[in-house]
Amino acid sequence: MDISLDALNQDPYPIYEHWREQGGAPWVPALGMYVVPRHADVVAVARDLHTFSVIDGDSLSKQIMGTTMNRREGAEHMRERKAAEPPLKPRPVQDHWLARFQALADELIDNRIEQGRMDLVRDFSAPYAALCLRELLGLDGVEAEQMLQWSAALIAGSSNYEADPVVREAADTAAEEIGELVDRAIELKSAHPDDTVISSMVHSPHQVGVEAIRSNIRLFISGGLNEPRDVCATATYALLTSPAQRRRVAEDPSLFEVAFEESLRWTSPVGLLTRRTTAPATVGGTEIPSGSRVGLLLASANRDAEVFDRAADFDLTRGKTPHVAFNGGAHICLGAWAARAQVGRVALPTLFGRLQGLELAEPDEVAFRGWVFRALPSLAVRWER
Amino acid sequence: MAHIVPVTFVTEGGERVEVKAEAGQSLMQVAVSAGLEGIIAECGGYASCATCHMYVTEIDGDSSEVGDEEEEMLDFTAAPRTDESRLSCQVVLTDAMESVTARIPDRQK
Repeated sequence: MDISLDALNQDPYPIYEHWREQGGAPWVPALGMYVVPRHADVVAVARDLHTFSVIDGDSLSKQIMGTTMNRREGAEHMRERKAAEPPLKPRPVQDHWLARFQALADELIDNRIEQGRMDLVRDFSAPYAALCLRELLGLDGVEAEQMLQWSAALIAGSSNYEADPVVREAADTAAEEIGELVDRAIELKSAHPDDTVISSMVHSPHQVGVEAIRSNIRLFISGGLNEPRDVCATATYALLTSPAQRRRVAEDPSLFEVAFEESLRWTSPVGLLTRRTTAPATVGGTEIPSGSRVGLLLASANRDAEVFDRAADFDLTRGKTPHVAFNGGAHICLGAWAARAQVGRVALPTLFGRLQGLELAEPDEVAFRGWVFRALPSLAVRWER
Repeated sequence: MAHIVPVTFVTEGGERVEVKAEAGQSLMQVAVSAGLEGIIAECGGYASCATCHMYVTEIDGDSSEVGDEEEEMLDFTAAPRTDESRLSCQVVLTDAMESVTARIPDRQK
Protein backbone atom coordinates (compact mmCIF):
# COMPACT_ATOMS: atom_id res chain seq x y z
CA MET A 1 0.00 0.00 0.00
CA ASP A 2 1.27 3.47 -0.94
CA ILE A 3 1.42 5.35 2.36
CA SER A 4 2.81 8.69 1.29
CA LEU A 5 1.72 12.25 2.01
CA ASP A 6 0.57 12.45 -1.58
CA ALA A 7 -1.65 9.40 -1.27
CA LEU A 8 -3.08 10.67 2.02
CA ASN A 9 -3.86 14.04 0.48
CA GLN A 10 -5.63 12.41 -2.46
CA ASP A 11 -7.79 10.00 -0.47
CA PRO A 12 -6.84 8.93 3.05
CA TYR A 13 -9.79 6.58 3.57
CA PRO A 14 -8.33 3.40 2.02
CA ILE A 15 -5.18 4.00 4.09
CA TYR A 16 -7.23 4.56 7.25
CA GLU A 17 -9.04 1.28 6.60
CA HIS A 18 -5.72 -0.50 6.17
CA TRP A 19 -4.50 0.94 9.50
CA ARG A 20 -7.73 0.00 11.31
CA GLU A 21 -7.37 -3.56 10.06
CA GLN A 22 -3.73 -3.62 11.22
CA GLY A 23 -5.00 -2.51 14.63
CA GLY A 24 -3.15 -0.87 17.50
CA ALA A 25 -1.16 2.25 16.66
CA PRO A 26 1.01 1.70 13.56
CA TRP A 27 4.30 3.61 13.31
CA VAL A 28 4.30 5.64 10.09
CA PRO A 29 7.80 6.61 8.96
CA ALA A 30 6.51 9.15 6.41
CA LEU A 31 4.86 11.06 9.26
CA GLY A 32 7.32 10.39 12.06
CA MET A 33 4.50 9.40 14.38
CA TYR A 34 2.37 6.58 15.67
CA VAL A 35 -1.19 6.86 14.36
CA VAL A 36 -4.34 5.84 16.23
CA PRO A 37 -6.98 4.76 13.68
CA ARG A 38 -9.71 3.01 15.73
CA HIS A 39 -12.67 4.75 17.37
CA ALA A 40 -12.31 3.18 20.83
CA ASP A 41 -8.57 3.96 20.99
CA VAL A 42 -9.06 7.54 19.80
CA VAL A 43 -11.66 8.12 22.54
CA ALA A 44 -9.40 6.60 25.20
CA VAL A 45 -6.25 8.48 24.13
CA ALA A 46 -8.08 11.84 23.83
CA ARG A 47 -9.15 11.51 27.48
CA ASP A 48 -5.77 10.50 28.86
CA LEU A 49 -4.11 13.91 28.75
CA HIS A 50 -1.67 12.86 31.43
CA THR A 51 0.01 10.24 29.21
CA PHE A 52 -0.82 11.78 25.83
CA SER A 53 0.04 15.42 26.40
CA VAL A 54 -1.07 18.35 24.24
CA ILE A 55 2.22 20.06 25.10
CA ASP A 56 4.46 19.48 22.12
CA GLY A 57 7.61 21.54 22.59
CA ASP A 58 8.53 24.46 20.37
CA SER A 59 6.18 23.67 17.47
CA LEU A 60 5.82 25.89 14.40
CA SER A 61 2.34 26.95 15.47
CA LYS A 62 3.69 28.02 18.87
CA GLN A 63 6.50 30.02 17.26
CA ILE A 64 3.98 31.84 15.07
CA MET A 65 0.87 32.21 17.24
CA GLY A 66 2.31 32.04 20.75
CA THR A 67 1.11 29.53 23.35
CA THR A 68 -2.57 28.85 22.79
CA MET A 69 -5.06 27.04 25.02
CA ASN A 70 -5.03 23.89 22.88
CA ARG A 71 -1.38 23.44 23.87
CA ARG A 72 -1.92 24.09 27.58
CA GLU A 73 -2.81 21.61 30.32
CA GLY A 74 -4.76 21.45 33.56
CA ALA A 75 -5.64 24.64 35.41
CA GLU A 76 -3.87 26.93 32.90
CA HIS A 77 -5.84 25.43 30.03
CA MET A 78 -9.11 25.66 31.93
CA ARG A 79 -8.52 29.30 32.93
CA GLU A 80 -8.11 30.40 29.30
CA ARG A 81 -10.90 28.16 28.09
CA LYS A 82 -13.36 29.35 30.74
CA ALA A 83 -12.46 32.98 29.97
CA ALA A 84 -13.36 32.54 26.29
CA GLU A 85 -16.28 30.13 26.70
CA PRO A 86 -19.30 32.15 27.98
CA PRO A 87 -20.37 33.63 24.58
CA LEU A 88 -19.98 30.19 22.94
CA LYS A 89 -22.30 28.30 25.29
CA PRO A 90 -25.59 27.02 23.90
CA ARG A 91 -27.79 29.64 25.62
CA PRO A 92 -26.09 32.75 24.12
CA VAL A 93 -25.76 30.91 20.80
CA GLN A 94 -29.52 30.36 20.73
CA ASP A 95 -30.65 33.68 22.21
CA HIS A 96 -28.10 36.02 20.66
CA TRP A 97 -26.02 34.59 17.82
CA LEU A 98 -28.59 32.55 15.90
CA ALA A 99 -30.43 35.64 14.60
CA ARG A 100 -27.13 37.31 13.74
CA PHE A 101 -25.95 34.24 11.79
CA GLN A 102 -29.29 34.18 9.92
CA ALA A 103 -28.89 37.82 8.91
CA LEU A 104 -25.37 37.17 7.60
CA ALA A 105 -26.47 34.09 5.62
CA ASP A 106 -29.47 35.89 4.13
CA GLU A 107 -27.37 38.84 3.03
CA LEU A 108 -24.89 36.59 1.22
CA ILE A 109 -27.74 34.75 -0.53
CA ASP A 110 -29.50 38.05 -1.40
CA ASN A 111 -26.34 39.11 -3.24
CA ARG A 112 -26.25 35.93 -5.33
CA ILE A 113 -29.80 34.69 -5.77
CA GLU A 114 -30.47 36.45 -9.10
CA GLN A 115 -27.38 34.94 -10.70
CA GLY A 116 -28.66 31.37 -10.46
CA ARG A 117 -25.25 29.85 -9.80
CA MET A 118 -22.18 30.26 -7.61
CA ASP A 119 -19.13 28.59 -6.22
CA LEU A 120 -20.64 27.62 -2.88
CA VAL A 121 -17.27 27.75 -1.11
CA ARG A 122 -15.95 31.02 -2.51
CA ASP A 123 -19.26 32.87 -2.59
CA PHE A 124 -21.04 31.51 0.46
CA SER A 125 -19.47 29.13 2.95
CA ALA A 126 -16.07 30.87 3.15
CA PRO A 127 -17.31 34.46 3.64
CA TYR A 128 -20.13 33.21 5.88
CA ALA A 129 -17.70 31.36 8.17
CA ALA A 130 -15.38 34.39 8.23
CA LEU A 131 -18.15 36.86 9.06
CA CYS A 132 -19.68 34.64 11.75
CA LEU A 133 -16.26 34.24 13.36
CA ARG A 134 -15.58 37.96 13.16
CA GLU A 135 -18.84 38.67 15.00
CA LEU A 136 -18.28 35.96 17.61
CA LEU A 137 -14.77 37.19 18.38
CA GLY A 138 -15.59 40.90 18.24
CA LEU A 139 -13.14 41.96 15.52
CA ASP A 140 -15.33 44.79 14.24
CA GLY A 141 -14.75 46.12 10.75
CA VAL A 142 -12.46 43.42 9.37
CA GLU A 143 -13.32 42.21 5.86
CA ALA A 144 -14.16 38.53 5.33
CA GLU A 145 -11.39 38.33 2.73
CA GLN A 146 -8.84 39.52 5.30
CA MET A 147 -9.98 36.92 7.87
CA LEU A 148 -9.67 34.16 5.25
CA GLN A 149 -6.22 35.30 4.20
CA TRP A 150 -4.98 35.40 7.81
CA SER A 151 -6.42 31.99 8.49
CA ALA A 152 -4.78 30.43 5.44
CA ALA A 153 -1.43 32.09 6.25
CA LEU A 154 -1.47 30.80 9.86
CA ILE A 155 -2.42 27.27 8.78
CA ALA A 156 0.27 27.18 6.08
CA GLY A 157 2.85 28.52 8.54
CA SER A 158 1.94 25.93 11.17
CA SER A 159 2.69 23.06 8.77
CA ASN A 160 5.64 24.69 6.99
CA TYR A 161 7.99 21.76 7.61
CA GLU A 162 9.97 22.61 4.46
CA ALA A 163 10.85 25.92 6.21
CA ASP A 164 9.83 27.98 3.19
CA PRO A 165 10.76 31.58 4.20
CA VAL A 166 7.91 33.12 2.18
CA VAL A 167 5.32 30.98 3.95
CA ARG A 168 6.85 31.80 7.32
CA GLU A 169 6.91 35.52 6.68
CA ALA A 170 3.25 35.53 5.60
CA ALA A 171 2.32 33.68 8.80
CA ASP A 172 4.34 36.03 11.00
CA THR A 173 2.77 39.04 9.30
CA ALA A 174 -0.73 37.61 9.83
CA ALA A 175 0.04 36.95 13.50
CA GLU A 176 1.33 40.50 13.94
CA GLU A 177 -1.63 42.11 12.19
CA ILE A 178 -4.11 40.08 14.25
CA GLY A 179 -2.21 41.05 17.40
CA GLU A 180 -2.54 44.75 16.58
CA LEU A 181 -6.23 44.39 15.84
CA VAL A 182 -6.81 42.46 19.06
CA ASP A 183 -5.06 45.20 21.03
CA ARG A 184 -7.47 47.77 19.60
CA ALA A 185 -10.44 45.50 20.33
CA ILE A 186 -9.25 45.00 23.92
CA GLU A 187 -9.09 48.76 24.42
CA LEU A 188 -12.58 49.22 23.02
CA LYS A 189 -14.16 46.37 24.96
CA SER A 190 -12.48 47.32 28.23
CA ALA A 191 -14.63 50.46 28.19
CA HIS A 192 -17.66 48.92 26.44
CA PRO A 193 -18.28 45.27 27.34
CA ASP A 194 -20.37 43.29 24.85
CA ASP A 195 -21.36 39.71 23.95
CA THR A 196 -18.13 38.78 22.14
CA VAL A 197 -15.30 36.38 22.95
CA ILE A 198 -12.71 39.16 23.24
CA SER A 199 -14.93 41.08 25.64
CA SER A 200 -15.50 37.92 27.66
CA MET A 201 -11.76 37.32 27.94
CA VAL A 202 -11.06 40.95 28.88
CA HIS A 203 -13.64 40.98 31.69
CA SER A 204 -13.31 37.36 32.82
CA PRO A 205 -12.86 36.59 36.52
CA HIS A 206 -10.36 33.97 35.29
CA GLN A 207 -7.98 36.85 34.49
CA VAL A 208 -6.06 36.06 31.36
CA GLY A 209 -3.41 38.48 30.16
CA VAL A 210 -3.24 40.43 26.90
CA GLU A 211 -0.72 38.01 25.40
CA ALA A 212 -3.05 35.07 26.04
CA ILE A 213 -5.91 36.93 24.35
CA ARG A 214 -3.74 37.69 21.31
CA SER A 215 -2.51 34.10 21.01
CA ASN A 216 -5.93 32.52 21.43
CA ILE A 217 -7.62 34.85 18.94
CA ARG A 218 -4.93 33.75 16.44
CA LEU A 219 -5.82 30.17 17.30
CA PHE A 220 -9.55 30.83 16.72
CA ILE A 221 -8.83 32.46 13.35
CA SER A 222 -6.59 29.60 12.24
CA GLY A 223 -8.84 26.87 13.64
CA GLY A 224 -12.38 28.26 13.76
CA LEU A 225 -12.89 29.27 10.19
CA ASN A 226 -12.13 26.48 7.75
CA GLU A 227 -14.05 23.85 9.73
CA PRO A 228 -17.48 25.52 9.52
CA ARG A 229 -16.65 26.59 5.95
CA ASP A 230 -15.78 23.04 4.93
CA VAL A 231 -18.53 21.18 6.75
CA CYS A 232 -21.08 23.50 5.12
CA ALA A 233 -19.81 22.63 1.63
CA THR A 234 -19.37 18.94 2.46
CA ALA A 235 -22.86 18.58 3.92
CA THR A 236 -24.38 20.41 0.95
CA TYR A 237 -22.55 18.10 -1.44
CA ALA A 238 -23.62 15.02 0.54
CA LEU A 239 -27.28 16.06 0.47
CA LEU A 240 -27.17 16.98 -3.25
CA THR A 241 -25.77 13.56 -4.13
CA SER A 242 -28.05 11.49 -1.84
CA PRO A 243 -31.64 11.92 -3.14
CA ALA A 244 -33.13 9.79 -0.35
CA GLN A 245 -31.44 11.83 2.39
CA ARG A 246 -32.37 15.05 0.67
CA ARG A 247 -36.04 14.03 0.65
CA ARG A 248 -35.85 13.47 4.38
CA VAL A 249 -34.56 16.97 5.13
CA ALA A 250 -37.13 18.46 2.76
CA GLU A 251 -39.89 16.76 4.76
CA ASP A 252 -38.38 17.60 8.13
CA PRO A 253 -36.00 20.60 8.16
CA SER A 254 -34.98 19.87 11.75
CA LEU A 255 -32.93 17.05 10.18
CA PHE A 256 -30.46 19.63 8.83
CA GLU A 257 -28.94 19.53 12.31
CA VAL A 258 -28.54 15.76 11.92
CA ALA A 259 -27.08 16.31 8.44
CA PHE A 260 -24.49 18.62 10.00
CA GLU A 261 -23.41 15.99 12.55
CA GLU A 262 -23.45 13.15 10.00
CA SER A 263 -21.39 15.23 7.58
CA LEU A 264 -18.80 15.77 10.33
CA ARG A 265 -18.64 12.01 10.77
CA TRP A 266 -18.68 11.11 7.08
CA THR A 267 -15.91 13.48 5.97
CA SER A 268 -14.42 15.08 9.07
CA PRO A 269 -12.93 18.52 8.35
CA VAL A 270 -10.14 17.93 10.89
CA GLY A 271 -8.61 14.52 10.26
CA LEU A 272 -5.66 14.56 12.65
CA LEU A 273 -4.73 15.86 16.10
CA THR A 274 -1.28 15.31 17.58
CA ARG A 275 -0.19 14.43 21.10
CA ARG A 276 3.15 13.55 22.72
CA THR A 277 3.61 10.71 25.19
CA THR A 278 4.94 11.66 28.62
CA ALA A 279 5.59 8.00 29.59
CA PRO A 280 5.68 4.60 27.88
CA ALA A 281 2.15 3.81 26.76
CA THR A 282 0.15 1.02 25.14
CA VAL A 283 -2.54 1.70 22.54
CA GLY A 284 -4.55 -1.24 21.25
CA GLY A 285 -1.62 -3.56 22.02
CA THR A 286 1.08 -1.35 20.45
CA GLU A 287 3.79 -0.24 22.83
CA ILE A 288 4.75 3.40 22.37
CA PRO A 289 7.91 4.84 23.96
CA SER A 290 7.87 7.98 26.09
CA GLY A 291 8.37 11.21 24.12
CA SER A 292 6.75 9.88 20.93
CA ARG A 293 4.45 11.81 18.66
CA VAL A 294 1.02 10.24 18.40
CA GLY A 295 -1.58 11.19 15.78
CA LEU A 296 -5.25 10.80 16.64
CA LEU A 297 -7.01 10.03 13.35
CA LEU A 298 -10.42 11.54 14.03
CA ALA A 299 -11.54 10.99 10.43
CA SER A 300 -10.59 7.32 10.59
CA ALA A 301 -12.34 6.76 13.94
CA ASN A 302 -15.47 8.23 12.36
CA ARG A 303 -15.43 5.48 9.68
CA ASP A 304 -14.76 2.60 12.09
CA ALA A 305 -17.02 -0.31 11.13
CA GLU A 306 -17.00 -1.46 14.78
CA VAL A 307 -19.10 1.60 15.60
CA PHE A 308 -20.76 2.61 12.31
CA ASP A 309 -22.57 0.26 9.92
CA ARG A 310 -21.85 1.01 6.24
CA ALA A 311 -19.53 3.71 7.53
CA ALA A 312 -18.74 5.12 4.07
CA ASP A 313 -22.40 6.02 3.50
CA PHE A 314 -23.86 9.42 4.37
CA ASP A 315 -26.95 8.37 6.33
CA LEU A 316 -29.25 10.53 8.44
CA THR A 317 -30.88 7.57 10.16
CA ARG A 318 -27.93 6.48 12.30
CA GLY A 319 -29.49 7.79 15.49
CA LYS A 320 -27.14 7.90 18.46
CA THR A 321 -23.93 8.70 16.65
CA PRO A 322 -20.91 9.32 18.89
CA HIS A 323 -18.63 10.81 16.23
CA VAL A 324 -15.34 12.30 17.41
CA ALA A 325 -15.02 15.13 14.87
CA PHE A 326 -15.05 17.70 17.71
CA ASN A 327 -12.42 15.68 19.61
CA GLY A 328 -13.33 14.73 23.18
CA GLY A 329 -12.25 15.29 26.74
CA ALA A 330 -11.15 18.65 28.14
CA HIS A 331 -10.01 19.91 24.70
CA ILE A 332 -13.34 19.27 22.98
CA CYS A 333 -14.04 21.91 20.32
CA LEU A 334 -14.93 25.20 22.01
CA GLY A 335 -16.89 26.35 18.94
CA ALA A 336 -19.06 23.23 18.67
CA TRP A 337 -22.33 24.84 19.81
CA ALA A 338 -21.76 27.88 17.61
CA ALA A 339 -20.93 25.64 14.63
CA ARG A 340 -24.10 23.58 15.10
CA ALA A 341 -26.19 26.74 14.94
CA GLN A 342 -24.14 28.36 12.19
CA VAL A 343 -24.28 25.41 9.80
CA GLY A 344 -27.02 23.02 10.98
CA ARG A 345 -29.63 25.56 11.95
CA VAL A 346 -28.84 28.44 9.59
CA ALA A 347 -26.61 27.78 6.56
CA LEU A 348 -28.02 24.45 5.36
CA PRO A 349 -31.74 25.27 5.83
CA THR A 350 -31.16 28.66 4.21
CA LEU A 351 -29.34 27.25 1.17
CA PHE A 352 -31.87 24.47 0.57
CA GLY A 353 -34.87 26.60 1.55
CA ARG A 354 -34.12 29.68 -0.54
CA LEU A 355 -32.32 28.27 -3.59
CA GLN A 356 -35.10 26.36 -5.36
CA GLY A 357 -33.92 23.38 -7.38
CA LEU A 358 -30.39 23.59 -5.97
CA GLU A 359 -28.07 21.15 -7.76
CA LEU A 360 -24.44 20.56 -8.65
CA ALA A 361 -23.43 22.61 -11.71
CA GLU A 362 -20.30 20.60 -12.52
CA PRO A 363 -20.68 17.19 -10.84
CA ASP A 364 -17.61 15.75 -12.58
CA GLU A 365 -15.36 18.49 -11.22
CA VAL A 366 -16.07 17.87 -7.51
CA ALA A 367 -12.98 16.61 -5.70
CA PHE A 368 -12.12 16.43 -2.01
CA ARG A 369 -8.54 17.22 -1.02
CA GLY A 370 -6.40 16.75 2.05
CA TRP A 371 -6.28 14.58 5.13
CA VAL A 372 -5.13 16.74 8.08
CA PHE A 373 -7.87 19.05 6.85
CA ARG A 374 -10.21 17.42 4.31
CA ALA A 375 -12.44 19.64 2.22
CA LEU A 376 -13.90 20.60 -1.13
CA PRO A 377 -11.79 23.51 -2.40
CA SER A 378 -14.73 24.55 -4.59
CA LEU A 379 -18.30 23.43 -5.24
CA ALA A 380 -20.14 24.81 -8.28
CA VAL A 381 -23.91 24.87 -7.75
CA ARG A 382 -26.90 26.27 -9.63
CA TRP A 383 -30.60 26.80 -9.00
CA GLU A 384 -33.77 28.08 -10.67
CA ARG A 385 -33.82 31.85 -11.01
CA MET B 1 -10.89 2.45 52.67
CA ALA B 2 -13.14 4.51 50.49
CA HIS B 3 -16.82 4.61 51.32
CA ILE B 4 -18.80 2.42 48.92
CA VAL B 5 -22.02 3.74 47.42
CA PRO B 6 -24.31 1.22 45.70
CA VAL B 7 -25.44 2.79 42.41
CA THR B 8 -28.28 1.39 40.31
CA PHE B 9 -28.57 2.41 36.68
CA VAL B 10 -31.84 1.69 34.88
CA THR B 11 -31.15 1.40 31.17
CA GLU B 12 -33.38 2.49 28.33
CA GLY B 13 -34.62 -1.11 27.97
CA GLY B 14 -35.50 -1.31 31.70
CA GLU B 15 -32.52 -3.45 32.73
CA ARG B 16 -31.08 -2.65 36.20
CA VAL B 17 -27.29 -2.46 36.38
CA GLU B 18 -25.90 -2.40 39.93
CA VAL B 19 -22.42 -1.02 40.58
CA LYS B 20 -20.52 -0.66 43.85
CA ALA B 21 -18.98 2.78 43.40
CA GLU B 22 -16.52 4.72 45.54
CA ALA B 23 -17.19 8.12 47.12
CA GLY B 24 -15.36 10.84 45.19
CA GLN B 25 -16.32 9.45 41.79
CA SER B 26 -18.92 11.19 39.64
CA LEU B 27 -21.96 9.26 38.42
CA MET B 28 -20.61 9.76 34.89
CA GLN B 29 -17.27 8.15 35.79
CA VAL B 30 -19.09 5.24 37.40
CA ALA B 31 -21.27 4.74 34.31
CA VAL B 32 -18.36 5.00 31.85
CA SER B 33 -16.19 2.61 33.90
CA ALA B 34 -19.08 0.14 33.96
CA GLY B 35 -19.22 0.34 30.15
CA LEU B 36 -22.81 1.48 30.26
CA GLU B 37 -24.29 2.29 26.86
CA GLY B 38 -26.16 5.54 26.52
CA ILE B 39 -23.69 7.78 28.33
CA ILE B 40 -21.38 9.47 25.83
CA ALA B 41 -19.75 12.11 28.09
CA GLU B 42 -17.94 13.72 25.17
CA CYS B 43 -16.21 16.44 27.16
CA GLY B 44 -15.07 14.08 29.90
CA GLY B 45 -16.58 15.91 32.85
CA TYR B 46 -16.49 19.68 32.34
CA ALA B 47 -20.22 20.42 31.93
CA SER B 48 -19.53 21.49 28.33
CA CYS B 49 -21.31 18.93 26.16
CA ALA B 50 -24.58 17.74 27.80
CA THR B 51 -24.03 14.13 26.66
CA CYS B 52 -23.95 12.52 30.13
CA HIS B 53 -27.56 13.37 30.95
CA MET B 54 -29.31 11.06 33.49
CA TYR B 55 -32.57 11.12 35.40
CA VAL B 56 -31.47 10.76 39.01
CA THR B 57 -34.55 9.27 40.62
CA GLU B 58 -33.15 8.72 44.09
CA ILE B 59 -30.20 9.86 46.19
CA ASP B 60 -30.40 8.36 49.66
CA GLY B 61 -28.57 10.05 52.52
CA ASP B 62 -27.26 13.27 50.96
CA SER B 63 -28.28 15.85 48.40
CA SER B 64 -26.44 17.19 45.42
CA GLU B 65 -27.21 20.67 44.09
CA VAL B 66 -27.38 21.71 40.45
CA GLY B 67 -24.64 24.28 39.78
CA ASP B 68 -24.92 27.32 37.49
CA GLU B 69 -23.06 25.82 34.53
CA GLU B 70 -25.00 22.58 34.83
CA GLU B 71 -28.27 24.49 35.08
CA GLU B 72 -27.61 26.20 31.73
CA MET B 73 -26.50 23.02 29.96
CA LEU B 74 -29.52 21.03 31.17
CA ASP B 75 -31.70 23.14 28.87
CA PHE B 76 -29.81 21.63 25.91
CA THR B 77 -29.98 17.90 26.57
CA ALA B 78 -31.20 15.72 23.70
CA ALA B 79 -33.80 13.86 25.77
CA PRO B 80 -36.38 16.05 27.54
CA ARG B 81 -35.36 17.77 30.78
CA THR B 82 -37.36 16.86 33.89
CA ASP B 83 -37.03 17.70 37.60
CA GLU B 84 -34.82 14.60 37.88
CA SER B 85 -32.43 15.65 35.09
CA ARG B 86 -28.77 15.96 35.97
CA LEU B 87 -25.46 16.05 34.13
CA SER B 88 -23.99 12.94 35.69
CA CYS B 89 -20.45 14.39 35.55
CA GLN B 90 -21.58 16.98 38.09
CA VAL B 91 -23.07 14.47 40.58
CA VAL B 92 -20.18 13.46 42.82
CA LEU B 93 -20.73 10.60 45.24
CA THR B 94 -20.12 11.54 48.90
CA ASP B 95 -19.44 9.67 52.12
CA ALA B 96 -22.94 10.54 53.31
CA MET B 97 -24.68 8.85 50.35
CA GLU B 98 -26.24 5.47 51.09
CA SER B 99 -27.43 4.67 47.56
CA VAL B 100 -28.17 6.30 44.21
CA THR B 101 -30.58 5.28 41.46
CA ALA B 102 -30.47 6.86 38.01
CA ARG B 103 -32.30 6.23 34.77
CA ILE B 104 -30.44 6.52 31.43
CA PRO B 105 -32.26 8.56 28.74
CA ASP B 106 -32.97 7.11 25.30
CA ARG B 107 -30.55 9.52 23.59
CA GLN B 108 -27.75 12.01 24.23
CA LYS B 109 -27.53 13.60 20.77
